[in-house]
Amino acid sequence: MKKVFMTAIAFAMLFTFAVSAADKPVTVTHWYWADNSKYSATMQQMAADFNATNGKNITVVAQEYPWDGGAYSETLFRAVMGGGGPDTSSFKLTSTPLFSANGLLANLDGYLAGWKDKDQIEASLYKTMSDASRTKSVYVMPWNTQVLYVYYRPSMFKKVGISVPKTYAEFLEACRKLTQDTNGDGKTDVYGFGMRGAKGGQEPWGSFIWARGGNFNDMTTPQAIAGMQDYVDLFKKGYAPPTATMDGFNEIIANFKSGKTAMTVHHIGSSAGMVDTFGDDVGAFPFPGDVGQWTSMGDTENVLLKSAKNKDAAFEWLAYLAAGKGQETWCTVTGNVPVSRNVKQLPFFQNNKFMKVSIEGAPVAGILPILDTTTEWISTIWPNTVAAALMGKVSPADAMKQLQAGLWRK
Amino acid sequence: MQRKKNIWPYLLLAPALLIVLTVVFIPAVNAVLMSFKNYDLRRPSSMGFVGLKNYMTVLADPLFWRSLWKTIVWVGLGVGLQFVFGFILALLLNKKFMGRGLVRSLSLIPWVTPGVLIGLMWRWIFDGNYGVLNDILMKLGLIGDKIPFLAQESTAFPAVIMTIIWQGIPFFALMLLAGLQGIPDELYDSADVDGANGVQKFFLVTIPSLKSVIFVTTLLRIIWVANSVDVIFNLTEGGPAYSTQTLSVYIFNKGNSLNLGYAATMSIMLTLGLSLVALRYLKSIFKNQGGKA
Repeated sequence: MKKVFMTAIAFAMLFTFAVSAADKPVTVTHWYWADNSKYSATMQQMAADFNATNGKNITVVAQEYPWDGGAYSETLFRAVMGGGGPDTSSFKLTSTPLFSANGLLANLDGYLAGWKDKDQIEASLYKTMSDASRTKSVYVMPWNTQVLYVYYRPSMFKKVGISVPKTYAEFLEACRKLTQDTNGDGKTDVYGFGMRGAKGGQEPWGSFIWARGGNFNDMTTPQAIAGMQDYVDLFKKGYAPPTATMDGFNEIIANFKSGKTAMTVHHIGSSAGMVDTFGDDVGAFPFPGDVGQWTSMGDTENVLLKSAKNKDAAFEWLAYLAAGKGQETWCTVTGNVPVSRNVKQLPFFQNNKFMKVSIEGAPVAGILPILDTTTEWISTIWPNTVAAALMGKVSPADAMKQLQAGLWRK
Repeated sequence: MQRKKNIWPYLLLAPALLIVLTVVFIPAVNAVLMSFKNYDLRRPSSMGFVGLKNYMTVLADPLFWRSLWKTIVWVGLGVGLQFVFGFILALLLNKKFMGRGLVRSLSLIPWVTPGVLIGLMWRWIFDGNYGVLNDILMKLGLIGDKIPFLAQESTAFPAVIMTIIWQGIPFFALMLLAGLQGIPDELYDSADVDGANGVQKFFLVTIPSLKSVIFVTTLLRIIWVANSVDVIFNLTEGGPAYSTQTLSVYIFNKGNSLNLGYAATMSIMLTLGLSLVALRYLKSIFKNQGGKA
């Protein structure tokens, strides 16, 4: 009897040790935005997969918030400043000064040093991340990039007898030629260029400025003003829809898909939807340059908030997104350019025509200067100033002065 | 005989007072304090007391004056036309006709619809490419080409004003209808005896009888419309080229940009402006209370 009793005690102790040795259950709250319901479902599935496979008792609760033309970043900021918010979140590099100035982001240097997949990501990307915080430390974890390029309809090009523009001048000429009155009623039915005048339009607009030899450091140069003049002319000459001053992402995509515009600028994230609509009758080319060339590199990262209680577990999730199965799943579904070397080598990415154009544009891809004014400039100053220029309320030169003052505070 | 002090009334009032203090008084005081600070969350290192600097900057800001003017037009036309159409609707609903109950209920729809939904709904109605308004106008032969209502300065502001008018008509109709039903028939009978015609009865009986209802309803609506952000923000976000940016939308945009000190300063100035309007109302209330005492 005594033997049985002792054995039972031994088993009980063994069980207790086993339980205590296992990882304690940890919950990580993750915020993200999604461009459509498919992406929403994908993120939820990724969280579920991570929860099932991490083997460390980590449960990620993925919560979706609207992108809202960039207001997501402010929503996140307010939540975290108010003492709430998530443990990790999807993030835009432009928000780094705001978050780092208020000490809201966790320093990732220590985590990265011990991460086996660190070298899966280019060193230059880590540098871009640390530059954004104006420190030598990485506070933002790379996730994926999107290089903007021009979508076009090959059938429309064929109809007007033009080929894919190789130069900026050819691009402007294509905008003119593709603008057509298809039914002869004296009204324009197809516009050459789907211009984005609302929030987010600063990205394709930047290509015009750079093509003429301008840049964002000084937007008052004759070259930059010439780029702005081209942009305004496209609208005034009727090569862009009259709604362009207020057209945002949804409008430019809807206009392109409905055949109202022949070209528009966006990244690979829209390619799946374009192919669903047009099949083979949609192509892409890098935004051509002239004196200079530039295209916007849309970036999406993830951050670990300083307020996160379980930072180790949270980093596991970020690592899964950056180089694990999460990277492959998300980039495959969204078509975004992966940051992981291994994922880039997968056939899906090697054989995708939109990915090829993204990669072709990558050498001239850049981002807006990351300043503490950038978010306000993007959300309010740029759309209203450019709308004023398009409507002829201010000259392109004055508009550029206002944009310069808004971004650089001088 | 000395009256015993009873603390019960104070105790019973305390919870309500505490809530008012917490959710109204403290934030209001905080906003006033914030208006004297450089309170820009994007630049936490430069936060601090700046005295009247924010007020001086606001007064020198052309966008502030432009937004203030837009607010005056927005409130003047918005509330004014809400009142006119609301009054007409109230007079119609005061008549007896078949299905009056149903019409009364249906006429409330714009009022019970959330502002965000109204903004989104009208954004699509006004859409320059796919909007139903363009379609109707073209089918009626009133326009030859689609109008980008929200994308050009000449039509964007009238469009947002039209939307707020649509939203506010039922409120006026409802309040004025209640007032109309409270006018004794004897007044109209007496007017008939005196030989008054319809117009005279309207201006000499109906309007004077509704004076207090009109006064209170208009005042409340002025304050609400002046403070309204949801409809404009969801329609145009204040654009294009700030052409639909009222002061409350400007405050909202500045607040969203995290320049809270500047936003608080403009809020205080808007509050002071609206207080001037409300003052007459408050004086009238106190006067009436004094008269009854």
